Amino acid sequence: MIKVSHLTRQFPGCTAVDDVSFEVGRGEIVGFLGPNGAGKTTTMRILACYLPATGGAVSVAGYDVFRESIEVRKRIGYMPENVPLYPEMRVDEYLNYRAQLKGVPSRKRQSRVDEVKDLCGLKEVGRRIIGQLSKGFRQRVGLAESMVHDPDLLILDEPTIGLDPNQIRQVRELIKGLASRHTILISTHILPEVEMTCQRVLIIHRGRIVASDTTEQLRNMMMGGARIVVEIRGPRDEVLQQLQSLSGAQRVAVSGEGEWGCYTLECAKEADLRADIFGLAAARGWALRELRLEKKSLEDIFVSLTRDDPEGAAP
Amino acid sequence: MRTFFTLWRKELSSYFLSPIAYVVMMFFLVVMGVSFSLLVSVMASGPSGVAVMKELFSSIFFWLAMLIVVPVLTMRLFAEEKRSGTIETLMTAPVTDTAVVLAKYAGAMTFFVILWLPTASYAYILKAFSPLTAPVDLGPMLGGYLGAFLVGAMYISIGLFCSSVTNNQIVSAIMCFALTCVAFFAGFAPYITRSDLLRDVGGYISSISHMLDFSRGAVDSRPIVLALSVSALMLFTTIKVIESRKWK
Repeated sequence: MIKVSHLTRQFPGCTAVDDVSFEVGRGEIVGFLGPNGAGKTTTMRILACYLPATGGAVSVAGYDVFRESIEVRKRIGYMPENVPLYPEMRVDEYLNYRAQLKGVPSRKRQSRVDEVKDLCGLKEVGRRIIGQLSKGFRQRVGLAESMVHDPDLLILDEPTIGLDPNQIRQVRELIKGLASRHTILISTHILPEVEMTCQRVLIIHRGRIVASDTTEQLRNMMMGGARIVVEIRGPRDEVLQQLQSLSGAQRVAVSGEGEWGCYTLECAKEADLRADIFGLAAARGWALRELRLEKKSLEDIFVSLTRDDPEGAAP
Repeated sequence: MRTFFTLWRKELSSYFLSPIAYVVMMFFLVVMGVSFSLLVSVMASGPSGVAVMKELFSSIFFWLAMLIVVPVLTMRLFAEEKRSGTIETLMTAPVTDTAVVLAKYAGAMTFFVILWLPTASYAYILKAFSPLTAPVDLGPMLGGYLGAFLVGAMYISIGLFCSSVTNNQIVSAIMCFALTCVAFFAGFAPYITRSDLLRDVGGYISSISHMLDFSRGAVDSRPIVLALSVSALMLFTTIKVIESRKWK
């Protein structure tokens, strides 16, 4: 659906996007992640044909964004950051106008507008003036607008910024629901959002893609192995020694005071020693009150990838 | 073409969705009403020649209206879209830059014409209440309207251009006012300079003398060419300004 190769965009005095290449397939929901100023918005603007690229090639649905921009624009719905709308118009008026502008045929227009209003929960505010709506409703008007012409690709720049937790949940559900019909590219710096909605993540930092994979794969890649946390009541030295001797355990650390010791095992990749540890504790008669496999959160990955020190810069 | 009409209708209706339309109309009608009362008092003072229409189309009140109304009508066209960011949603819809510029121009021109419509009643009022059989000549009257339309077209194109280069409405309005004043004050060149060249050029571009000619019923082709070519140039430049964000 999207094919970006060696995309570069320079502004006077800075390179916002630097030799970025990625692809997004039909029907995927991809999260576009990065710290502020990493180049997310610039990349999205180029995809939406608002800005030209300085170098590289970008195509959407097989059309070049620069040379066949009108064809591309017919196929995308783009919601810019901060959702610019005309405050003096009414919701219905605005959606109708945008549908018309985007070439929805007149006999289908009313039903399309009703459909997106339904999807975005705008039924009861159709007659309201946009300028008087709350932030949450305006955000939804923007979202409804971006998909009113049933585009193949939705590009949403920070769709949940400024919403309250309930609204964020609604928007998230809405986006998930759209996945069957549309390809979606969402930019955000809210990590749980990506973990919950996206199948794949692109992490961009200082204009470069530093990671591109499924959230699951990213975790595995960054873990370099699994970590198991276990709390056992038993003689410390013996427990420590026994845990060390399990095959696959690389390093064991102990913490905690008193009779309960909290042991952290760094294991080789794909080794899951939880059953072995339970067996060991059972055989020795040690009490066990916690045993869990710790997964690195996307946040850890994000931080380690976008930290500015050199070790963290690339996996 | 279809997108052009969609955009045009939106531009026109957005005048009426904001208070601007009503404030401008009110101001314009009051000022033109004063011009009309001048016209009536000139006619009442005795038999008058063909020059009577200049009271309506080239009085100081007419110019006050033109020089103030045009910047107000055009200042928000692009500046507001840029400031609020709606330019981004507008330009990422499947529309060409040319269609957007022309639709904004057409919208402003349509509103400008609507502004003038109530003044058509002046001719009827004169006919109904004047003891003369033919109180107004059709020629000077139509000439005056043609002149107002042409000068309006030129000034609005200048205003549109000013709006496209800034994201601040006030800056846009003042630039437009300054540029249209050049055309307006060019008529005073003979009083302010001794240079023959400047006097000649001033005479050619002077909106005042064009309006005086038109409101006498003398329709010269030179002001028509000037107004149309300046409008075309300004529209072309505006399209290029809008396109310039895509220059590499």
